[in-house]
Amino acid sequence: MKTANQPLLSLKGITKHFGSLTAVNGVDLDVCPGEIVVIIGPSGSGKSTLLRSINFLEEIEEGTIVFEGNEIGYVTSKHGRRHLDVPHKICALRSEIGMVFQHFNLFPHMTVLGNVMEGPLTVQKKSPEQAREIALDMLAKVGLSDKRDVYPATLSGGQKQRVAIARALAMRPKLMLFDEPTSALDPELIGEVFDTIRDLGKEGMTMIIVTHQMGFAKEMADRVIFMEKGAFVAQGTPEDFFANQMEHDRIKSFLNRIL
Amino acid sequence: MKFFTGRVVKRAILLFSCLLLLLASVCFAKDYDQLFTDANDAMAQGDLPAAIALLKKVEFEKGDESGAFVRSRMQIARLQFALKDMEQASSAAKEVLAVYPDNSEALNFLASVKQEQKPRYKVFIEDCLRFLPQLLKGAVMTITLVVCIILISPIGGLLIALGRISTFKPVSAICWFFIWLFRGTPLLLQLFFIYYGLPSLGITFKPFTAAILGLGLNYSAYLGEIIRGGIQSIEHGQMEAAKAIGMSYWQAMRRVIIPQTYKRLMPPIGNEFIALIKDTALVSTIAMVELMRSADQMFNAYFNVTALILAALIYLLFTTIFTFVFEKIEVRAGIYENR
Ligand SMILES: Nc1ncnc2c1ncn2[C@@H]1O[C@H](COP(=O)(O)OP(=O)(O)O)[C@@H](O)[C@H]1O
Ligand SMILES: [Mg+2]
Repeated sequence: MKTANQPLLSLKGITKHFGSLTAVNGVDLDVCPGEIVVIIGPSGSGKSTLLRSINFLEEIEEGTIVFEGNEIGYVTSKHGRRHLDVPHKICALRSEIGMVFQHFNLFPHMTVLGNVMEGPLTVQKKSPEQAREIALDMLAKVGLSDKRDVYPATLSGGQKQRVAIARALAMRPKLMLFDEPTSALDPELIGEVFDTIRDLGKEGMTMIIVTHQMGFAKEMADRVIFMEKGAFVAQGTPEDFFANQMEHDRIKSFLNRIL
Repeated sequence: MKFFTGRVVKRAILLFSCLLLLLASVCFAKDYDQLFTDANDAMAQGDLPAAIALLKKVEFEKGDESGAFVRSRMQIARLQFALKDMEQASSAAKEVLAVYPDNSEALNFLASVKQEQKPRYKVFIEDCLRFLPQLLKGAVMTITLVVCIILISPIGGLLIALGRISTFKPVSAICWFFIWLFRGTPLLLQLFFIYYGLPSLGITFKPFTAAILGLGLNYSAYLGEIIRGGIQSIEHGQMEAAKAIGMSYWQAMRRVIIPQTYKRLMPPIGNEFIALIKDTALVSTIAMVELMRSADQMFNAYFNVTALILAALIYLLFTTIFTFVFEKIEVRAGIYENR
C-alpha cells in the first residue's frame, strides 16, 4: 500500500505571508500515495494555512505545488507576476482534494443527503439519481444512512463531522486534508470520527491530518511532523518521533501542555 | 288761513312721521348690525346659547331688504346644529321657509339635518357604497404597483448587493454610488425628477412607467443594502466549504450562500414591502390614479371624511395581509433550523 514511487503531492518552499507575518515559511513536503501524515504544533504555527494553501484557499507567494507529477495552481503573467490560475481550473483541482474543517461547515439549509449530494450534483453535474446513489454510498461508509433526511442542526458534533467527511468523499478525492477534525468535539465524540478516518486509512486514502490527538497519531500515522513558526521542526515515524524527537525541548513542552 | 294752517300741520305731521320712520328704520338697522356683531363676539367666546338669544331678537319685516332675518335664522339653525339640537335647528330653517318657501340655503340645510338625524351607521354605509367603487379601482392600481415592485426590486437588489461585494472595483463603486444616490434623496423628488424633470432632457415617460421606474430604482437600492448585509452575515466557513468541494464563486453563491439568507432577509424585506404599500401613495403626485389619489378626489368632491377613512382601512387591510404572509414565509424559509 505504501509504495515509495512518485509522491502524490510534493510541496517545495511553500511560503505565505499575512502582511509582515510569515505564516508558512519555506515548507517542503512529499506525500506518497496511501500515506498518512500527521502534523502537530502549537496554535498559530501555520498548520491551517499550510493545508489551506494546498487547497488554494490561500494564495501562496512562493513555492510550488506538484500533484501527481504536475505543477498546479499558479501561472506567471506576461509581466512576470505569479498568481492563481483561472477560477475554473482551481475549482477542478479543489475537487480532487477533499478538505474537512474543524467546525464542519455543513450546509444548514440542506438535509444530510443534500449536503453529500451537492458536490456530485453541482460541481460534477451528475444526474440527481447518480448523485443520490453516490451520496447514499458515502453515508453508509460513515455509518449515517439513517440520518439522510434530517437537517444538520439535529446532529451531534461527531455525526456532523462524519457527514462532512462523507461530503468530501463524494467527490472521490485522491487526497484528504483534515484540519483539527475533532477539536470542536466533546471528548466522548472524538472516537467515532477517528474510527471513520481509520477506515479511510485502511482503504488506502492518502491523508494529511492536523490534530492534537497523540493517541491517534501514534496508532495511524506513517509520519508525524512537528510544525512551529511556519516551518517543520522535526519529523519521523511515530515510533521514532515519540522515542527520539522528544529530546527537542519545544516538542516536549508542547506535548506536556496538550497531554 | 285755517285751511292753510290745517294743511301745513298735516304736511308737517306727515313729514315728521316719515322722518321718524326713517330714523327708526335706520336705528333698527343699526341695532341689527350691533346684534350680529354681539352675536359674533358671543360665538367667538364659545357662548353659543347667548349668540342664539341675541340673534332671535331679529324680527321679520316686510321685504327684509337687508336679509337680516334670513341671515339670523340660518345662523341660529347652524348654531343649533352645532349644539346637536336638530329640532330647534330645523324650526329655525322652517321659519325662513315660511316666508321664502324656495330659499335654497334653508332647503339644503333641512336636507342635511335629515341626513344627520339618520342613524350614523346608515349614513356611513351609504357613503361607503358611494365611494367604494372608485376607491377599489384605485386600490387595484396600488396593488398592481406593489406587485410589480415586489417582483422587480429583489432582482435589482440582488444584483446591486452582488455588485457591492464584488472585488472588481469599478462594479462595486458604481453600485455604491447607486445606493448612495437613491437612499440619500427623497423618493418624492426621484419621482418628480423622472416624471417632470426628464422630459426637459427629452426623455418622457407615461405616469405608470415613471412610477414603476422610480419605485423600482428606489426599492432596489434599499433591498441591495439589506441583501448585502444578509450575504455578509453568512459565516465565512460556508463559502470555504463550498469552494473546498470544487464549487465556483457563483455556484457557491447560488446554492449555498444566498439560500441561507432567505430567513434572515425575510423580516427586513417584509418591512420594506409594507413601507412600499404606503409609499405608492406618493405616485399620486405624478398623475397616477391609485388608492390615495382616488380617496383625495372623493374627499374634495364631497368634503366627506368617510372617503379618507375608507382608504385608510383598505391600506390597513393590505399591510395586515402582508405582515401575515411574510410571517408565514419566514417560518417556511427557516424550517431547517427547527427540525
Ligand atoms: N486570514 C488571515 N489574515 C491574517 N493573519 C492570518 C490569517 N490566517 C492566519 N493568520 C495568522 O497566521 C498564523 C498562522 O495561522 P494558522 O495557520 O491558523 O495557525 P494554526 O492552524 O497552526 O493554529 C497565525 O499567526 C494567524 O494569526
Ligand atoms: Mg488551525
